Amino acid sequence: MKQPTGQISRLGTLKYLAQRFAFLSLIGLTFALMLIGKADTVLVERARTAVNDAVTPILRVMAAPAATISQFISNLEELGAIRQENAKLREANERLLQWQAVAQKLENENRQLRGLLATVPEPQAQSVSARVVADSGGAFAQSLLVTAGGRDGVAKGQAVMTAEGLVGRVTQAGYRSARVLLITDINSRIPVRVGEAGDRAILTGDNSGRPRLVYLGVTSAVAPGDRVVTSGDAGAFPPGLPVGRVVVAEEGNTVVDPYFTRDRLHYVEILDFGLSGILTELDKAAK
Amino acid sequence: MPEPTTFEKLDARARMVLPFGLTLMLVLFGMTPTHIPGLAQITPMYALIAVYFWSIYRPDLLGYGLGFFIGILEDLLTGAPLGVGALTILLTQWVLFNQQKFFNAKPFAITWFTFVLVALGGAMLKWVFIGVIDDGGFTPFGHLFASYLITVAVYPIIAWLFAKAQTGLLADT
Repeated sequence: MKQPTGQISRLGTLKYLAQRFAFLSLIGLTFALMLIGKADTVLVERARTAVNDAVTPILRVMAAPAATISQFISNLEELGAIRQENAKLREANERLLQWQAVAQKLENENRQLRGLLATVPEPQAQSVSARVVADSGGAFAQSLLVTAGGRDGVAKGQAVMTAEGLVGRVTQAGYRSARVLLITDINSRIPVRVGEAGDRAILTGDNSGRPRLVYLGVTSAVAPGDRVVTSGDAGAFPPGLPVGRVVVAEEGNTVVDPYFTRDRLHYVEILDFGLSGILTELDKAAK
Repeated sequence: MPEPTTFEKLDARARMVLPFGLTLMLVLFGMTPTHIPGLAQITPMYALIAVYFWSIYRPDLLGYGLGFFIGILEDLLTGAPLGVGALTILLTQWVLFNQQKFFNAKPFAITWFTFVLVALGGAMLKWVFIGVIDDGGFTPFGHLFASYLITVAVYPIIAWLFAKAQTGLLADT
């Protein structure tokens, strides 16, 4: 900053030129990177996973205080409403016990019928629990970083769930971290079935909290309140994973409210059904 | 003046990378889940705030090179298209570096108001470029605008913290 007077003007000019050159070459470099990112996703993906793997331990430490505070606050809130909560839970418990009886009966029946038909059993899911250490945040991308990666058997294309419902799918798997593209992201496409009729559609994110249904058949009668589950088409996810509920069903505009709550994502479950999935292939084709 | 000791040299070095270090911290902070309902989709554009502040007060310590690095890192970490964050930061720096005389000894209100304009430019630039790269997948305008407003609202807090760090640790450099 503090230069002695004298050669200052020449030095200044030189510095100015050097800066200008640096600026222009870096601008050129950003455009080159944009093109590379669009053309060769493998290289960029490798860079992303390397950076994610390196930063995840730091994020893990940084995420801890916020998680503790949020848990503390929710504990306090729960304490306030503990009586009503208890009554509600007791009631729910009774109802669920009835359902359990129904489910057991159906399961038995199902097993017997399967035995009669000699059906091949569906693949069982292996699951890995992972902590959410980063939420990409911002208006432009909706994804998470979680603390499980290739070393835990996490691979690209696997479904990510909470107890509530589908959260998204793994788009990059590093060694100790993985990126989860939320179903609300603008690049997310999930084949689903809607309502009791099971109409097929594609759930498309738009970076808002509520994804939309597209390619819904003209004859389909979708109404608000209808359940949306994965269809299992395209071999990406197994069929029947809960996704969300239809909240708006207008002509050409069907909006779904996902079951998962983004601000309560502390842990997620990554499911491996042994399905290779063509969604990842679709990604490549799209890019 | 006596020759500085190794520790003094290290100390001076550490102070020089303070703006860069604080900016990196802020970018990572922006990624940690806050668990506050509704905030995740409109997280402030922290990198832009940090780059704006240092471009005005210590342009010598956070030049184009480091700005580029921060932008690329942000793109890689958030999963945004590569290069867009870096382009936004570089252009912001370019505008501010060319207007240094304007910011000389200006009160806070003026720098904040200028940030309102610069951040709008940055947000729009990002919106257009990401939309084009994602083949027309433009984020809903309402979300972009909410994110922009919260960025502007958060600016005074960050600027205050950075100013504390600056007067405390960088005053004599």
